[in-house]
Amino acid sequence: MEFAFSPEDTAFRAELRAFLARELPADWVKLSKDGPGSDAQLDFSRAFCAKLAAAGWLTQHWPREYGGRDASPWRHAVLGEEMWAHGEPRGSQYMNVNWIGPAIMKYGSDAQKALHLPRISRGDVLWCQGFSEPNAGSDLAALKTRALRAGEAYVVNGQKIWTSYCNKADFCFLLVRSDAESQRHRGISVLLMPMTLPGVEVREIPSVVGERYFHEVFLSDVRVPVDCRLGPEHEGWDVVTYALAYERVGAARYAKAALVLDEVAAHVRSTGRLGDGGLPERLAEARALCEAARLLAYRVIDGRAKGGPPTVDTNLARVAGTTADKVVGELALEVFGSEALVYESFAAANFRLSMTAGVAVGATEVQLNLIATRWLELPKGP
Amino acid sequence: MNLELSDDQRAVLDGVDALLARHAGPTRAAELAAKGGYDDALEAALAEAGFGEIALGEETGALEAALVTERVARAAGGVAFAAGGLVAPLVAGRVLPGPVALARADDAGPIRSAPAARTLLVLDGEVARVAALAPGDVTPLRSNFGFPVGRITEAARRRGDALGAGSGERLLAWWRVGLAAEALGAMDAALRFTVGYVTERQQFGRPIGSFQAVQHRLAECAVLVEGARWLVYEAAAQGAPAEAAACAAGFALAGAGRVHRETHQLSGAIGYTTEHALHVWSMRLQALRLELGGPAAQLRALARERWGAPV
Repeated sequence: MEFAFSPEDTAFRAELRAFLARELPADWVKLSKDGPGSDAQLDFSRAFCAKLAAAGWLTQHWPREYGGRDASPWRHAVLGEEMWAHGEPRGSQYMNVNWIGPAIMKYGSDAQKALHLPRISRGDVLWCQGFSEPNAGSDLAALKTRALRAGEAYVVNGQKIWTSYCNKADFCFLLVRSDAESQRHRGISVLLMPMTLPGVEVREIPSVVGERYFHEVFLSDVRVPVDCRLGPEHEGWDVVTYALAYERVGAARYAKAALVLDEVAAHVRSTGRLGDGGLPERLAEARALCEAARLLAYRVIDGRAKGGPPTVDTNLARVAGTTADKVVGELALEVFGSEALVYESFAAANFRLSMTAGVAVGATEVQLNLIATRWLELPKGP
Repeated sequence: MNLELSDDQRAVLDGVDALLARHAGPTRAAELAAKGGYDDALEAALAEAGFGEIALGEETGALEAALVTERVARAAGGVAFAAGGLVAPLVAGRVLPGPVALARADDAGPIRSAPAARTLLVLDGEVARVAALAPGDVTPLRSNFGFPVGRITEAARRRGDALGAGSGERLLAWWRVGLAAEALGAMDAALRFTVGYVTERQQFGRPIGSFQAVQHRLAECAVLVEGARWLVYEAAAQGAPAEAAACAAGFALAGAGRVHRETHQLSGAIGYTTEHALHVWSMRLQALRLELGGPAAQLRALARERWGAPV
């Protein structure tokens, strides 16, 4: 066991922080107050990712042949921690580099690789994820959006929901049922659908967690060329499973939560309340949750660095990370008190982000089911 | 970064597990608990196999000692391995005559392992003191929290040789790591034991462990246990920095309360009986929570180390 980053990774972190200090505008906190789906942040992230790519860091963990540097998962984890700790200025593009790119490397045709990978690697493209449907949330395999083959195109009809970033996205990583007779995990395909196709209609769902955070995507007789299909027809579930295994490390929510907590503690100290009954203990309890989540995430990264298959470590890390984020988010509200009611305030902006922890990217209950059956080996439920 | 046991560490664990399978376990722990006894035979077996010196070995150190501490607690071993095998050697730089008890000079409260202890390691302000215990220093007390406990005279807590500058801080930090490692082992065992119970126990025609209401609570405990595990390992591997030690202890002791509550709730009435083994870990979890000021004191220490909060 060894609990230290290599000197190279530590040096990279320092270099990255200097880069962030240069590239993040002074009013970044204000700019990001409306959340990752806002026009201001999406536009910013496009420019920012291009700079990150120019520095050679955006897809450094990719193989060289696809525009990467063969960097280790640990190096990429340092990038993820620093990005999340600084408000995730990559915006939606973390998806591109974390799992959409790798899925295309594994399943893509030569033409698909040539079209998509260089753009992702340059930081020059926005994607969205077309998974959830009104009746397929945690139970994703219940999805109903149909894609029926008509010559050299699929005719797609259906509806996706809770989609983020799709108002500005260039492409959608879309899950469809390509075999109308099929059920559950069989008969699903993945389409790399251009968002500009006729019949794609995006409607915002107003929410309390951020501007343009959620959308519905209506698909009406959208003709998606067959060569947009990723991987074998009807076997899209395998593609998604593979892609999401890449996403197993997930967002470094613990890194953001730890930084927010330090700011909260600094505020408590500056207002002379660091000795108040119960408050230091609660700050410390939140800190311990962040630290436990960090180490559980490191277990996952360690597994990937060693080339092992995904394990239930991922689910443990996700529950710990989302718990830490939520606890810190709520504590920040309390500490800042009524000032946190102001929309632009630090605590309110952070709270909007932390509110979705435990629901976004898979409900906590699903994670707990997997921990119960795979880690504790409890008997399967009814 | 490397978060896996090395082959050498696995060999250490295989060795101690084999020894514990012969000399420890819940049945023996229940027997000892009934009479408030200390497991001299287990102490001797661990010493003979060289585990007493593992913290100061050529190829082994604090992390290996923490791993053994965890395993002894998991097997409900009735010995003060955290004090004698982890804390004392790392603070004093040598193995002290065991059993070792840990105490604070200004705390007149009951001390774990005191009735059996030959050596007392005392936290006395900025220094640690080592004192040999004599008959008459300790008054044994009745307790059913799974450890032999006794009250130690103030004279005994104030005598002994000081270990030098910084030894108080080192003792506090390693004590926290040892306490967290013990809590980790006992939490892990209590959780696994309860998983076994709810898998067997049938109600409404199915194992109660198949109900989500039960599964989710145990899964949440698993997240606490695994979080505590890596906090303990990191703190031990890094030599017990004050912040990491307080963090591990605060997290583990807070988790210990939760695991005690959930495992008892899900074990029903049988969980309170001595014929059911849960108590050998669950009662100890509560005892561990009472040491060194409990979870709140560890968390305050973390707030001080991290943000300069007043003590």
